[in-house]
Amino acid sequence: MSRKKKPILTASPPAPIDLNPRTDPPLDFPDRELDAMRPADYAELGFLCGLEVHQQLLTEGKLFCRCRAGQRSSRVDMEVLRHMRPTLSEMGEYDGTALMEFKTRKDVVYQIDRTTVCTYEIDDTPPFPIDSQSVRIALEISRLFGLNLVSELHVMRKQYLDGSIPTGFQRTALVGLGGVLPFQGSELGEREIRIRQLSIEEDSCREVSDLGHRVVFRPDRLGTPLVETVTEPDLLTPLDVARGGRLIADVARASGKVRRGSGAARQDVNVSIAGSRRVELKGVPHHRGLPLLVHNEAFRHLNLLRIRVELLRRGVEPVALAFDPAYSALESPLVLDAASIARTASYRPVRAAIDRGDAVWAVRMIGFAGLLAHRTQTGRTFAHEIAERVRVIACLTTTPFLINSDEHELVGGTWSELRKALRADGGDAIVLVWGPEADVDTAACEILIRGADALVGVPSETRQPHADGTTGFERILPGPERMYPDTDMPAIPVQDEWIEEIEVRLAEHPWEREDRYVRMGLSARAARVLGGARWAFLFDAMEPSTPACARRTAAALEKRLVHWWRESGTGELPAAERLAPLARAVDEGRVRAEAFERAFDRLLREPDATPAAIVSDFAASDHDAADFERAVSELERDAPAARHGDEALLHWAMGRVMPVFLGRLDPASVRARLHDALKCEEPV
Amino acid sequence: MSDADDFPGYREPTLSILRRFDTPVWSDIRAHTTRGLFEGLILPRAETADEAHISLKLVSGYNVGLRHDTIESIEKVGYRPADYRVPEEEFPFDPDKPRVILFGTGGTIASRLDYRTGAVIPAFSPGELYGSVPELADVCNLVTEKLFGVFSENIDAGHWKILAERCGQAIEDGYQGIVIGHGTDTMHHTAAALTYMVADSPIPIVLVGSQRSSDRPSSDAAQSLINASSVAAHGDIAEVLVCMFGPTSERYNLLHRGTRVRKMHSSFRSTFRTLGDVPLAMIEKGKIDPIKHDYVRRDPTRTPDVQPYFEDKTTLLYYYPNMQPDILHALIDNGYKGIILAGTGLGHVNSIQFEALERARDEGVQVYMTLQTLWGFVQMYVYETGREILERGVVPLANMLPEVAYVKLGWALGRWPNEPEKVREFMTTPVHSDMTAGEPVEGYLVFQGGVPEVQDFLKTIWS
Ligand SMILES: [Zn+2]
Repeated sequence: MSRKKKPILTASPPAPIDLNPRTDPPLDFPDRELDAMRPADYAELGFLCGLEVHQQLLTEGKLFCRCRAGQRSSRVDMEVLRHMRPTLSEMGEYDGTALMEFKTRKDVVYQIDRTTVCTYEIDDTPPFPIDSQSVRIALEISRLFGLNLVSELHVMRKQYLDGSIPTGFQRTALVGLGGVLPFQGSELGEREIRIRQLSIEEDSCREVSDLGHRVVFRPDRLGTPLVETVTEPDLLTPLDVARGGRLIADVARASGKVRRGSGAARQDVNVSIAGSRRVELKGVPHHRGLPLLVHNEAFRHLNLLRIRVELLRRGVEPVALAFDPAYSALESPLVLDAASIARTASYRPVRAAIDRGDAVWAVRMIGFAGLLAHRTQTGRTFAHEIAERVRVIACLTTTPFLINSDEHELVGGTWSELRKALRADGGDAIVLVWGPEADVDTAACEILIRGADALVGVPSETRQPHADGTTGFERILPGPERMYPDTDMPAIPVQDEWIEEIEVRLAEHPWEREDRYVRMGLSARAARVLGGARWAFLFDAMEPSTPACARRTAAALEKRLVHWWRESGTGELPAAERLAPLARAVDEGRVRAEAFERAFDRLLREPDATPAAIVSDFAASDHDAADFERAVSELERDAPAARHGDEALLHWAMGRVMPVFLGRLDPASVRARLHDALKCEEPV
Repeated sequence: MSDADDFPGYREPTLSILRRFDTPVWSDIRAHTTRGLFEGLILPRAETADEAHISLKLVSGYNVGLRHDTIESIEKVGYRPADYRVPEEEFPFDPDKPRVILFGTGGTIASRLDYRTGAVIPAFSPGELYGSVPELADVCNLVTEKLFGVFSENIDAGHWKILAERCGQAIEDGYQGIVIGHGTDTMHHTAAALTYMVADSPIPIVLVGSQRSSDRPSSDAAQSLINASSVAAHGDIAEVLVCMFGPTSERYNLLHRGTRVRKMHSSFRSTFRTLGDVPLAMIEKGKIDPIKHDYVRRDPTRTPDVQPYFEDKTTLLYYYPNMQPDILHALIDNGYKGIILAGTGLGHVNSIQFEALERARDEGVQVYMTLQTLWGFVQMYVYETGREILERGVVPLANMLPEVAYVKLGWALGRWPNEPEKVREFMTTPVHSDMTAGEPVEGYLVFQGGVPEVQDFLKTIWS
């Protein structure tokens, strides 16, 4: 065969910042379930976790063009096709991620709804000036995190070659850095979370599908401004990861200027344990699932470190798995065209592949016997690590596309024939992989690379969270060399007036707000819920002044709004001016607190009636006593002859009277009067 | 340490601060400021940036600016000067592949990025090009020569002459194709100039550039360079061509004739269009599909006729309502020998120019009419104004593009400075379709988005 040379692209080594400071993995620590672990156990593992929380800002426009932000559409007017090429870094090295994306040779397709984008989003027009509303919000949120503000914003390009941004990079600027957040909710007692930095950036496209060599994106959300808040690895237990995430989200929300709802807030979670290095779990949408995810990830690290130690014990060295990336993997003695041998195995997927004209290659993994079956996560083995990487980078789509000698039986002595042909012995494992030849070549290389990475222990990767709490390979972790200045944008000076303006009307922190609500008379639970709710400003604008009114107001906002939204199909917040008269009336005693919910509901449901009219329907008046006495005489007359006990009778009577006098009379005294009038014998 | 070279881009007041703390560019520093502590590497300051801030690269890779009046003190903790190196790999030689020469004029076709400064360092030697676009080795044996390093807007007739001569030399040296890397803004002017200056080329001369610089992952440079090299090495069209993106999608390039092509959008990838005709060919992954067949074929036995001339006193005047005749008078006063008018409609200017046009005619200044509509033909017999302009010696140039007419006239006046009749004859003779006998019905396609039938059409072709 011709020695066709492939371009040599070498990746740069991981940054030291990505290594866990402890180098001694507790290899003897038993695999345990999440609920069997105590904080001290995670300390023994050397568990470290940091968060990168992304929150879309509530702005009119996008960050670098004047399209509307926060759009979502599935309409397709046209498609644009692109490819991404890595650009060389300073030292002639390629960023690891860039390299991987180049190997995948993917067609990147953008499905465009013409009403959601302009030519900026499809990278046919340079950026427009940065949205200043977004910059101010980012500055304000930075101050809520107690960060030092930079005096000049420099827009940078952060490379993303997966196609999620048509330019191939995300425009991003650092706004603040170096803050400390009190972490009262930690299960380790009162602590702090150090905030490394906050940047403002444009959101990426939504992925629609990713199959084989074709990945499809929608650019509707692309360009929506968001802030990314990065913490130091200060979260030391899975529970704290979830609580810390919630705290950071709450602080940003306190500004009242971030978007809520699905997709508006997502976090990347960085996990390592002693002896491993940072792995990033990408785009976790909820806090709920976080503990299980990071717990599983920690034990995946531990198991990969165990595999490493076993390989070292067996004397396997990286050089044993080395190959020349400049040529086809078949040129390595570790790789074999196995079609003729595999044909005899009568294993259906392989036979089908051969019938399709696919290549079937075998890869010898020196010293890996038994290790491919080593468990790494619930229901997953090390062979899965290899298969995932091959699926993503070599784009093999027909499943299965590989099997291995540890986990699969093949009839007819196929494995031993392959062993013979590859000069492998009992200590080696064999992987059989099939698919289109060019992809199988990439796959064979990746199998050897992943094998060599096992000697490192935990490769620096970004991983996708799955619903069952496990994770899957997404891409190689990018290094700092993927960041470079954006020559399209001038530097943006942060004006002192902006900062002064922000300092003057800086929002309360969530814990300050909660304290205030408790002081107003709410329970701790109600205060926490209200503090994090998007209607908190409505509560403040309604200005309840007595504890009773405050409690009723908080409860009505929490329960009746949702009810109304479900009924009306909207998700809008009502105007504060409409609700405030009710709180005032209750505070002033004109309407009794029991009527709050009923009056609140009517204020929502009867937009044509004035608040004053609705409130007055529930207001006490001079006639109430006389009216009530009249109602009592009617009740005396209508009372059923047959008695089923005082309680039933009172219930009947209250049901008749209370709707009429709700808000006007005290239910307890109504009950007492009815008790007497109806000659009940049991004490009130 | 007080040499200004140590503080590139810095002016007062930041310059004194950096001097005071002895922290030149590339110093690793800890800056204590009223806005907190900042640690990082001092970068050169962009020349377009203000004088009030110091540029700092943080460990995270982010750059930020520190304002001079926030700085309390700076500690220097290290010094890491930049080391600009372009990685180079030997371009593989294959005796079975054609030899192609690539001329550089200044635009970066391929480049490497300096991650710290964001500086784009052009990759140009065959080895450097191979390092960033390795697919080129599958196409040809590439030789490169950097002719000049100027931005597209600074390319002038002097550069055209040198390019023409170097093309002639390359043909003599036996290259099978020529590729010229060129900034896109004036690529069509250069393409027209080479068409007239290098007549009877036996091989393709292909101009190529990029709308998204090659330091960007989504750059159009690699595809265009690969396709342009394929056309130069293997194509059969021995004319001056522009090879740029067809659609904005990364699918195929179009080959445009140097005399019918124009840049039509400031930033779209699909900016180059053939006007008043259909393009010569499509080219996808190196495979050429001709659309037209009336091109000049490759013929190694043909001898080129290189005539590098240009008359600088030539101009292109874009007419607008209310134009005053003093402009024409000023041109004549300043010794202009040739004027291309870009007139309205079918080729008109207002009647207050008539006297100036008469003066031009009488003083031997050649005046030609082209159209600012870009599409269509000059037709000056339809209206009275047209006839009156014709009577004043203005020569209509059919559907020649204004920029092409400018280049053609400049060349002709340079070639035959004392033979106005020859100039006039050449101007009115079609060369490589700079004027065509007619316009194909699909030669004019400017669709309007939003119209339902166009949206339906876009759904089909943009998918
Ligand atoms: Zn836009």
